[in-house]
Amino acid sequence: MEPLIEEAGLARKGESTDPITAPTGESEKKVDTRRKSPTQIALARLRKDKIAVICGSIFLFFVLIAIFAPLLAKLEGQDPATLNQNLIDQYGYPTIAPNGEHWFGIEPRLGRDLFARWVYGARPSLIVAGSVTVITTIIGVVVGLLAGFLGGWVDRILSWVIDFVLSLPYLLFAIAVPAALLAVFVGNTENVANDEVANVRFYSLILVLSFFGWASLARLIRGEVLGLREREFIAAAKVLGVPTRKVLFKELLPNLVAPIVISVSMALPAYIVTEAGLTYLGVGLTEPTPSWGLTIYAAQNWYRADPLYLWIPVAAITILVLALSLLGDSIRDAFDPRTRR
Amino acid sequence: MKEEQAVLLYILKRVLSAISVVIVTLVASFALFFFAPTDPAGVICGPRCTPERVADIESSLGLDQPKAEQVLLYMKGIVVGREYSTGGVVRHCDAPCLGYSYTLGQPVTKLIGAALPVTVSIVIGGAVVYLIVGILSGTIAAQVRGTSLDRFVVGTTLVVQSIPYFVFALMIALYATFLPDSRYHPFLDNPLLWAGGLLAAWLTIGVTNAASYTRYSRASMIEALGQDFVRTATSKGISRRRVVYRHGLRAGLTPVVTIFGIDLAFQLTGAIFTETIFNLPGLGLLTLRAFGQYDLPVLMGGVLIGSVVLVLMNLVVDIVYTFLDPRVRLG
Repeated sequence: MEPLIEEAGLARKGESTDPITAPTGESEKKVDTRRKSPTQIALARLRKDKIAVICGSIFLFFVLIAIFAPLLAKLEGQDPATLNQNLIDQYGYPTIAPNGEHWFGIEPRLGRDLFARWVYGARPSLIVAGSVTVITTIIGVVVGLLAGFLGGWVDRILSWVIDFVLSLPYLLFAIAVPAALLAVFVGNTENVANDEVANVRFYSLILVLSFFGWASLARLIRGEVLGLREREFIAAAKVLGVPTRKVLFKELLPNLVAPIVISVSMALPAYIVTEAGLTYLGVGLTEPTPSWGLTIYAAQNWYRADPLYLWIPVAAITILVLALSLLGDSIRDAFDPRTRR
Repeated sequence: MKEEQAVLLYILKRVLSAISVVIVTLVASFALFFFAPTDPAGVICGPRCTPERVADIESSLGLDQPKAEQVLLYMKGIVVGREYSTGGVVRHCDAPCLGYSYTLGQPVTKLIGAALPVTVSIVIGGAVVYLIVGILSGTIAAQVRGTSLDRFVVGTTLVVQSIPYFVFALMIALYATFLPDSRYHPFLDNPLLWAGGLLAAWLTIGVTNAASYTRYSRASMIEALGQDFVRTATSKGISRRRVVYRHGLRAGLTPVVTIFGIDLAFQLTGAIFTETIFNLPGLGLLTLRAFGQYDLPVLMGGVLIGSVVLVLMNLVVDIVYTFLDPRVRLG
């Protein structure tokens, strides 16, 4: 069926077949479906969605902060590593409130500038979450395509691996694996520079999250491919003698845009939370990397004396994740032809 | 093929695949922990350590043996137990022995045995809260579908679900000071103290997870209430409440039960954030402490037990589901 006919047919019926997103009975909005690809239709829907536009702008705001972190810190005239011990009293409390020189004030005890740590802290969050999302999406799509399309023993092995990965307690492994990796790459953990440990922890975090992240997408893609494999256009391509690689990436992949985009939009906020959470637990990133999770961990003991210290990273991560999740929800609605909006 | 045979075959297949997963997990953890160049003797006796003392500790833990030998010893320990001798004292570690903690001087099995009841208490109590809150609000939202109350409930669940869990838990732990201090008391000592000490953790797990259960049960109740048997029941003159809570809920809950089984299995492998933030000595906190101290036997024991619990729970859920929904075994 032509995509636009399919879309129109489902829109006419106004039925939601996805139980989770069963419509709340909002009034139907008219969508222009003339001569557009499903992706264009989805993007048009997204542009009309106020929540999506607001949440997208918030996300963009944080991305810009991360990109221009050095510039912003320079604008303030501070950097994230300098210890302003002259502004700390003998009990470790900062002697200054936020002012024109230190926009968010300074850290208790060490006296580092909080605004600079905050803008730099956006970087590891977005870099870890972004690269894990890219890696898991690529692996998940390729494995799912191969398992679903080739079938036979390839499918049996890949499906077993998917089931295996999904049945591991990933949080426990996320704690255990960095310990082992640290031993392999750094060796004896005493007398090692903090920078080196922080580096290994950074990559092992990406590795662990990627290892456990791809399987659910692979299972989803495999299911979709199993359905698409029997359709006429694939049979036609096979009869024409199109090579398998081309069938996979030129014929099948364009039909999988919706589930892939939806999965990416759900994965990104999830990985930001996981990164910050593991870092908070002390198994993710370590000092001296500026990271919101680390700041929250350090600030929880000062929450009465210096609430701003705790609340700035908490607000940042909550707003960023909230915006991304709501954006993901809008994207799912926009790309899913079964939901009406 | 006959019905019973099909069921048996399906269960057999699931059991075999579960066993294969456990075996591969074992092998992978062995590779991870035994072949990584670590220095446990240094960890145990600290910075001021003589080479003789290191050698003594290594031989007492069997670390002077070749790696392959160590793996065999560990395996043997799981099946029949093993003995450790330190400074002339022989300590016996009963089967299933997962080794001795480097830093706490106790068998890993004993440490995990002490931690499991804590995790189970947290998870079960939290589940009671989110099942009650989630299913009730989902059912109510399904009945008033499309109204502003329904939209409010759905919107709230969306927001609650999007707040990072550890941030939410931390805020409760820091600011909800009206709740009793969180602390673990064994249930058998004093059930009231047990419940009071876990209340904050239960409410945190309950509120955050209730969001997804509200959405699941709302969706499946909407589907159930649209079915013919509900119309039949209504047309027979049964009261609305009875129709919803007797007839509708029974049909609507099956999918929720499945999701619950899977969730529970995952939470049992360590409610790590809850345990850390509320300082409850469960499996997650045990593993986390072990990580901080490079206490590899405890770390490995935690991972192994967690994997086995998860695989077993998944197996149970699958088998129970076969009896709930006959379509599964035919597929």
